[in-house]
Amino acid sequence: MGMGWYVARRVAWAGVVTFVILTITFVLLDAAPNAGLAQVQFQAAQSGQSAEAAAEAFRARRGLQGPLWERYLDYLTNLASGDWGWSDTRSQPVSEAILTAIPYSMMYGAPSIVLSTIIGMGIGLYSAVHQYERSDYVATLAAFFGVSIPNFWFGIVLLLVFSVQLNWFPVLFDAQIATNRTFSLANLHQLVLPIVVLMTSALAGNARYARAEALEYVQAEFVKTARAKGATGWRMLTRHILRPTLVPLSTLLVGDLLGLILTASYLIEVVFGIPGLGFLSYQAIINQDTALVLGTTLIPVFIAVIGNLLQDIAYTVLDPRISYGDR
Amino acid sequence: MPALRFPNRRRFLQTLGVSGAAAALAGCSGGGGSGDSTSTAGGGGGGTEASGGGTTEATATSGGGNASTEGGNASEETQQSGGQRTVGGNYIAGSSTDAQTLNFIQVSDVPSSNRIGLALDSAYAITTENEVFPLWLDLESGPDNRVYTANLRDNLQWGGDYGQMTAEDWVYMIKNVYQTEDNWAAYSNRGDWQREGEFIPVEKTGKLSFEIRLPNPDPAFPLKPILWGAFCMPKGLLEQYVPDKDLEGLQQDEEISTLAYSGNLGPYSFERWDREAAFVATRNDDYYMRDASDVPAAWQGAPYFDQYTYRVIGEQSTRLSALQANEITTTAIPSTQVSQFEGSDDTSVVVAPQPFCSQLIYNRRANSVFAEGFRSTAVRRALAYAVDKQLILENILNGYGNVAHTFQPQFSDFYDDSQVEQFGVGDTFSMEQARSELQSALGDTPYAYEGGQVVNENGNQVTLTLVYTTGSQTTETTCKYFKQQFEKLGFAVSLTAVRFNTLLDKYVTNSPTNGNFGDEEGDWSAGPFNAGERTDSVSPEQWDMMYGIVFNTYPRTPTSTDVFWQRETSTNFFGYYPEANLNELYSRASTATDQQTRQQALASIFGALSKEQANLFTNMGVDIIGYQPNVVGPDETFGFGWDDNIWYFDEA
Repeated sequence: MGMGWYVARRVAWAGVVTFVILTITFVLLDAAPNAGLAQVQFQAAQSGQSAEAAAEAFRARRGLQGPLWERYLDYLTNLASGDWGWSDTRSQPVSEAILTAIPYSMMYGAPSIVLSTIIGMGIGLYSAVHQYERSDYVATLAAFFGVSIPNFWFGIVLLLVFSVQLNWFPVLFDAQIATNRTFSLANLHQLVLPIVVLMTSALAGNARYARAEALEYVQAEFVKTARAKGATGWRMLTRHILRPTLVPLSTLLVGDLLGLILTASYLIEVVFGIPGLGFLSYQAIINQDTALVLGTTLIPVFIAVIGNLLQDIAYTVLDPRISYGDR
Repeated sequence: MPALRFPNRRRFLQTLGVSGAAAALAGCSGGGGSGDSTSTAGGGGGGTEASGGGTTEATATSGGGNASTEGGNASEETQQSGGQRTVGGNYIAGSSTDAQTLNFIQVSDVPSSNRIGLALDSAYAITTENEVFPLWLDLESGPDNRVYTANLRDNLQWGGDYGQMTAEDWVYMIKNVYQTEDNWAAYSNRGDWQREGEFIPVEKTGKLSFEIRLPNPDPAFPLKPILWGAFCMPKGLLEQYVPDKDLEGLQQDEEISTLAYSGNLGPYSFERWDREAAFVATRNDDYYMRDASDVPAAWQGAPYFDQYTYRVIGEQSTRLSALQANEITTTAIPSTQVSQFEGSDDTSVVVAPQPFCSQLIYNRRANSVFAEGFRSTAVRRALAYAVDKQLILENILNGYGNVAHTFQPQFSDFYDDSQVEQFGVGDTFSMEQARSELQSALGDTPYAYEGGQVVNENGNQVTLTLVYTTGSQTTETTCKYFKQQFEKLGFAVSLTAVRFNTLLDKYVTNSPTNGNFGDEEGDWSAGPFNAGERTDSVSPEQWDMMYGIVFNTYPRTPTSTDVFWQRETSTNFFGYYPEANLNELYSRASTATDQQTRQQALASIFGALSKEQANLFTNMGVDIIGYQPNVVGPDETFGFGWDDNIWYFDEA
C-alpha cells in the first residue's frame, strides 16, 4: 500500500471527522441557552413590551425558527453549494468574515512562528552543546520566563511601556494599514509588539524542546562516530544532531501552526485590537452566531486533520526508516 | 457603565435599560460610576456595547474625537457666529464592541444604533431641558395630547434615486414594516407602535406631514422611544421586500448595509466598516441642516469633524492606553481607573448623571428562605438602617455616583424631597436601630430573633443567598459589604456569583412550573419575568437577594417605571406587592394633561417606594468619560450629547 492510498484515506477520513464535529457543534449551539435572547426579552419586558414577541423577532432575525433538523439540513445543503451562511452578528457572509480575518492573524502569527522556530531551535541546540555552561543557564532562564509569563499581561505591559510611555509603537492596530500596505514598514511597526508577545512563549517552548531532544543525540554513538570521522562544528550540529532532533520537533511545529489557526492567539488579538481569526471565533461563540461558529470550526477541524497527515508525511522525509506500508 | 449615546437616540436609553452601568458583560466596566453593574445591553456585548457588554460604547458615543487627525486635515472656517468653530480633525471613539448591523429595523444594540446615527439624524432630539429639538421633523401636539402631527422639513433628500423624504415614506414604513401582525421584518420594537394591544393609527395628512392618533391622551409621547430617535427608510427601497415579506433580502441588502440611502440626512456619510476594527464616516457636505433657519447658527455649519470613527478595542486597558497616547479622542473610564486621568493635562474627565439605579433586590417569591420576611414592609425598613449608602459611594465607588433613596434620581422633575424617606445616611444608618426594628418587625412573620440570630420556624439561623453578577470588582466588593452588614444583623449570608445571562435565565425568569407550592391564587402571567403570583411562580434557582443588575428609572417619562412596581407588570420578578395604590397613581400620572397633576402623582409613587423600601436603593450611577482636552461640547448634564453634531476641536 503506497503513500497515495494512505493519503487518500486520511483525507476522506478528515471529511468524516469534520462532519461529525460540525453536527455536534450545531446541536450543542442549539441546546445552549441563548444569551442574546434572554437579554432581548428582558429589555422588552422592562420597556413595557411583550417579551414573547421580542423573542420571536429575535429568532427570526437569527434564523432560529423551525425544527433543528430542518435548519441543519438547510445549512448542509447550502454548504455543499459553497454557501457558508450569513453572519447575523456581523451582517456579512461567513466566508467573507473568515477570509477577512485570516490575513490579520497570519500577519503576526506567521512571522512569530518562523522567528520562534529558528531562534528557539538555535538557542536549544546551542544550550545542548553548551550544557551547564553560563550561557545555557541564561537561555534556560529566558525560556522559563517566556513560558511562564501570561501573554495577556505581557502584552499590556509592553503597550504601557513602549507605546504609552516611550511612544515607540502605536497602541492600536490599524486594519487599513494592514490591508492596504501589508508589506510596509508602517505595518511592521504596528506588528512588532504582537509578534514579540506571541514569539516569546513559542520561542521558549521551542528552545526547551530542542535542547531536550538534542541532548539525546549530543553523546549518541553516531555523533561520536561522525566526530571521529572529522565532522566538526556547524556540520555536525546541522547534519548529525539537528536532523534526528527534528523528527519529534516536527510535531511541535505542526502544533504551532494549528495553535495559530485554531485559536489564533485570541488574547493577543484582544489586547492589540487585531480583528483576526481568534477574535472572530471567540466573538462568534459568545454571540452564538451559529453560521459563523460552524464556519470558524470547519476550517481548523479540517486543517487539524490535514496537519496531522502532513506531520506523518514529514516523518518519512526526516526519518527514512519510517514507511507507510503497514498503515 | 455603558453609556448612553446620545439622547437624541432615545432608543439607546431604552436598550440600556436594565442595565446600567455596566458593561460588565464584556468585561469592560466601562465608564461610569457604576460601571459596575450589568447591563442587558450588550454586551456583548455586549455591549454590549454592554454589556458589554458592552457598553463602553455608550460612552464612547458620548464623545470622542481625535484631534490627531489622520493625514492632517485642513481646517475650514465656518460661518459660525463668533467664528470659534472650525471644521477639522478625526473624532475617534473607543468602543468595546462592534455593531452587529446597519439595518436599523433590526437593531437591538447600542453600538449599531450609534453608527447608524452618524449617517441618519433621526426624527428629532430631546434637549437637556427635555424639549423637542427638530431634526428631520417637528412634532406638533393636538390640544388633548392625543393626536400628534409630524411635520417634515422640505429639504430632506434620500441618497440614490429615492428622491425627497416625504410623509409617504414614514407611513409606508410604519404600516408595512412596524405594524404588521406577523412582524415579518423582525422589527425589534414593534410594541412601541402599539397601545392596549392595537396598532396606533398613523395617517398621511400632506406631502410632508402625518398624524399619529393615540387611543388615550399621552403628554409624554414625544419623550417616549417611538418617534424620538426614529429612523426612516425610503419607500422605494422597502418596496423591494414588503410584497414578498422577504426578511433575508432585507437583511442582506447592499444599500441598507452601507447606508447608501442616507443622502443629506445625516452629518456624516458612511465610508467603511471594517468589522471588529473600525467604522468610519466622513463629513457630509450636503447635510440638510445647512439650510435650516429654525436652529441655532452653530448647526448650520455642522458637523465640525472631518471624520468620525468608532474604533473597536475589546480590552479595557488598551482603550485607556489609547486615550492616554492620544490615539483615540474618547472612551469610557471605569470608576476604579479615574484617578490616573484626573488632573491630567492630556485628558479631561466628564462625569454625567445616569438614569440607572443600583439596588439590593429582595426575593419575595416562594423560593426564598426569607420570603415572608421580605414581604413585610416593616422588615424591609429595618434592613435599610443596616446599610451605609454613603460608605458604598465613597469607599467602593470612589465617590462616583449619587446616593439613591427611591427609584428616581434627585435631578428628576418628579423627585419630591418632602415625600422621599431616607435610609442609610447620617442618623438613618444605625445598626442598633436596625436590630431593634428588625426584632420588632419579625413578630409578624414566621421568623424570630434568638440569641442575636434571625431564625426560622425550626429554630435554625436563616441563611440568605445573595446572587450577583460577575465581571465587576465594585459589585463584588459591595456584595461583601452587604454580607458583612446582614451578618451583623444575625443572618448568615452566602454569596453566589454568576454571569449576567445566567442571572437572567436562572434567577430572574420565573414560572409556576419551577415549583409546586400549592398556593396558586391566580392564573395570570405578565411574561417570563413575572409569570404569576409570588406564592406560585418562582425562578429555576433559589435566591434571596440580588445585586448587580440596574434598572432604568426613566427620569423623563417616569410612568414607564410601572413595569417594575406593580403586582402584575412585566418586570416585577422579585414579587413586590405595593401597599400604596400605585396602580391608581400610575394611571393618573399617565393620562394627566397638566404637569402639576403628573408631578404630584409621580412624586407620591416615588415617595411610597422609599417608605415601603420596595428594594434597598443604593445609588444612582454616573457616566465617566475621558476626552482629549481640546474637545469642546461635552458637559456634565443628564442627556448631554444630544447636540454632539456641533461639538468641535478647539484649535487654540
